[in-house]
Amino acid sequence: MFYIYLAILAIVLALTVWVLFDTKKLSLQVTAAMVIVPLLLRLLMIK
Amino acid sequence: MQKHTISAIICLAGALVAAAIAGASFLAMRKPDLIVRGPGVTDVKMLSDWFPGLKGTPGDTEVYILKGADDGASMLVLGGTHPNEPAGHIAAIMLIENAQPKSGTLYVIPRANASGFTANDPQEGAPQSFTIQTPNGPRVFRYGSRATNPIHQWPDPNVYIHASSGQTLSGSETRNLNRGYPGRPDGTLTERVCYGIVQLIKKENVTITVDLHEASPEYPVINAIVAHPKAMQLASDMVLGLEMQDIKISLEPSPVNLRGLTHRELGDFTDTLPVLMETANASQGRLRGRTDEALVLTGKDKWYVRAEKLGRLYVPYDEKGHPLEERVGRHVTAISELMNSWNLEHPEKPLEFEGLPGYEDFLTKGIGVFLLPLPAKN
Amino acid sequence: MSQEFLLFILMVGVFAAGCFALKWPVSVSMLLAAVAGALAGGVQNPIRHLVEGTFGYVDTILTIATAMMFMTGFRDSGALEALTAAVIRKFNKLPGLLMILLTFVIMVPGMITGSSTASVLTAGAVVAPMFASMGMSALDSGALISIAAILGMIAPPVNIPAMIIGGGIDMPYVGFEIPLILLTFPLAIAFAFWFGWRNVRKVDRSKVVESLDFSALNQYGAWRLFSPLILIFVLMILDKTVPRVFGLGMPLIFLLGTALTWVTGKRFEILKSAKKAIEDVLPVLGILVGVGMFIQIMTATGVRGFIVVNALSVPPALLYVMIAVSIPLFGAISAFGSSSVLGVPFMLALLGKDQIIAAASLSLIAALGDFMPPTALAAIFAARVVGLEKYGGVLKKLVVPGLIIAVYGILFILFSKQIRALY
Ligand SMILES: [Zn+2]
Repeated sequence: MFYIYLAILAIVLALTVWVLFDTKKLSLQVTAAMVIVPLLLRLLMIK
Repeated sequence: MQKHTISAIICLAGALVAAAIAGASFLAMRKPDLIVRGPGVTDVKMLSDWFPGLKGTPGDTEVYILKGADDGASMLVLGGTHPNEPAGHIAAIMLIENAQPKSGTLYVIPRANASGFTANDPQEGAPQSFTIQTPNGPRVFRYGSRATNPIHQWPDPNVYIHASSGQTLSGSETRNLNRGYPGRPDGTLTERVCYGIVQLIKKENVTITVDLHEASPEYPVINAIVAHPKAMQLASDMVLGLEMQDIKISLEPSPVNLRGLTHRELGDFTDTLPVLMETANASQGRLRGRTDEALVLTGKDKWYVRAEKLGRLYVPYDEKGHPLEERVGRHVTAISELMNSWNLEHPEKPLEFEGLPGYEDFLTKGIGVFLLPLPAKN
Repeated sequence: MSQEFLLFILMVGVFAAGCFALKWPVSVSMLLAAVAGALAGGVQNPIRHLVEGTFGYVDTILTIATAMMFMTGFRDSGALEALTAAVIRKFNKLPGLLMILLTFVIMVPGMITGSSTASVLTAGAVVAPMFASMGMSALDSGALISIAAILGMIAPPVNIPAMIIGGGIDMPYVGFEIPLILLTFPLAIAFAFWFGWRNVRKVDRSKVVESLDFSALNQYGAWRLFSPLILIFVLMILDKTVPRVFGLGMPLIFLLGTALTWVTGKRFEILKSAKKAIEDVLPVLGILVGVGMFIQIMTATGVRGFIVVNALSVPPALLYVMIAVSIPLFGAISAFGSSSVLGVPFMLALLGKDQIIAAASLSLIAALGDFMPPTALAAIFAARVVGLEKYGGVLKKLVVPGLIIAVYGILFILFSKQIRALY
């Protein structure tokens, strides 16, 4: 189950990065960057 | 390149820098603090020697063995069941670095939840470590999370169901070592650590098991010993012994309907006599103010002083706080007293250890003088 | 004035300035408020603390993100519209009954998962167009959905705030069913009448059925079209009843449901749909991340202790007022956080009351935190599923019901022993 959840997390992270590069709203870009930090650290199994 | 792509790259770079800085700090938590083999330590094994299912997992943890020349009873001391309760962890280290066995065997697990020592609880603002000054220089100890690191056990279920009783608790309790006993060989990492500890107790026929904890000062069970019915006599003898030394401790029976805890399940599932002890730790409380190393070491906290005046606490609390030496002193003295109480009733099967500092020693000299120098780095 | 008080003012001030004066998003304002608090409070290694705080919500982020992906997929497959059409065709003549029924339908996901967000984004989103066809205004419908969602989160079998409060005083989560039913079901029925039936009974519904679009329903058939929703409900129930085998967890259940929407109705681009879902929900995820940072800095600097001890400092007569005010207010940050940070100390102050009823009532009051801006998860998502851009109007509709719920909860605490004697 651990790796399935990492995969789910990877999907959400990938979609968030996609939104970051796709949107033209700066506020949404900053928000996306904030959300990326914990998702990335969990995906790398650091925290 | 379009403007919004440039700003996206800048945002992503910012996220990566923050993740790198924080990540380095999180990774540093993986390095365990150093524990020195004291003169009484005869062997150091791993919990996986009793339950191979733990081998190579982050739940595997050292078991320090202090075996006396003469046969006798045995005692298992668990420190660091909750790695955010430092007095339990340090008291276990005090035993490892100071106790000298005469008769009987002492097993000490200073990091019962080893995984919990590798992380901090989010939103608790806890320090990652605290430093104790010793005559031989500073020694650094980890301040960890109450629960198993989610890197090692994730995700939590919505609801935690205790395996042998069916009791339900909130999902995050799945990673609480002291809700998982007697554990399961094929369960979660936390349950497997519980199972390993139970195997040690069964195979070594451990006579007495002491689980060292701390509690927040607003919690009713504090400066207390909680005993399984089987251990009630032993515990009440110990309480009398401590009262002779002017140390007040309350005796609580293990609640029947609260499952998964050492003082309940170890008594029900093994032959050991289990007790659990609590001291007052402001750094895990909900009423605490600024949370840092100083709070861990001194327990000085103005909001707790105020809460005491409001009658909200279950321990006396003044400007002097409850320093770590007092809390560790309570635990170590209580363990000595448990041994004395045992020996009075069972002279044929004694449990005798020397070299343990007394309560007054801790209050007057501090903890540092009882910590051994670290081996020189090569 | 204590240093903690000044820090609290600074953090709230920076947040308010960012949010209202500079019109920054809530997430960014929270981030900056946390940064300001960390710097002014002299927190060691501030970046570690800021990032660590966000981890309190990683699981919540996954649940919300996947729930949103599911709802978007369900809508894009044409199933949502078809489901509305099918239900309204059947129940158009019995609006009173339908209102109560739908209110309970919204509660179900929350009852099973303990999450008001799950309720709003699944059953709430399904029911919202039905409310609209019945003639309810978007604001009324949004308010009723938010209320039903938080009542669902509190109703048994799963109530996470009660588990958190119980866990804090070592009380097992046993024997909560009856008090929780007494606390939630009467309120649910009352609000179903208040917002629902009262508004729709005079509406002329003779032309409603003709205005509905039955094309998707006729093309794919009900079973096939609605199977993703059925799958999700079945998996949620299995997750609760046989967790050893089917303990999949909400995010995986939602993801499986999303995958199914792709093949059961109108064709749509699943990746684009999922990305749209994340884009829509990102501001909320950002709020959670910002709130996590905010709490971590409040705790590290002692502001949290300042709030808790001051809440406990009132004279006994005012204790109940303080409970009704401070727990929902702190819930502005997080309802679960409020249950732990304030719910547990208040529970310890209520040791003379019947423990189970007191904890159950506190959990109901804590749930009101999901109405409190800036996080206001229940209200934000309810506004979204009824098609409103801003959730302020829904919030206004929730003021009086919120007060009623708080008073109802306090009455239960006051008369806990008498209520206990009833069953
Ligand atoms: Zn503990």
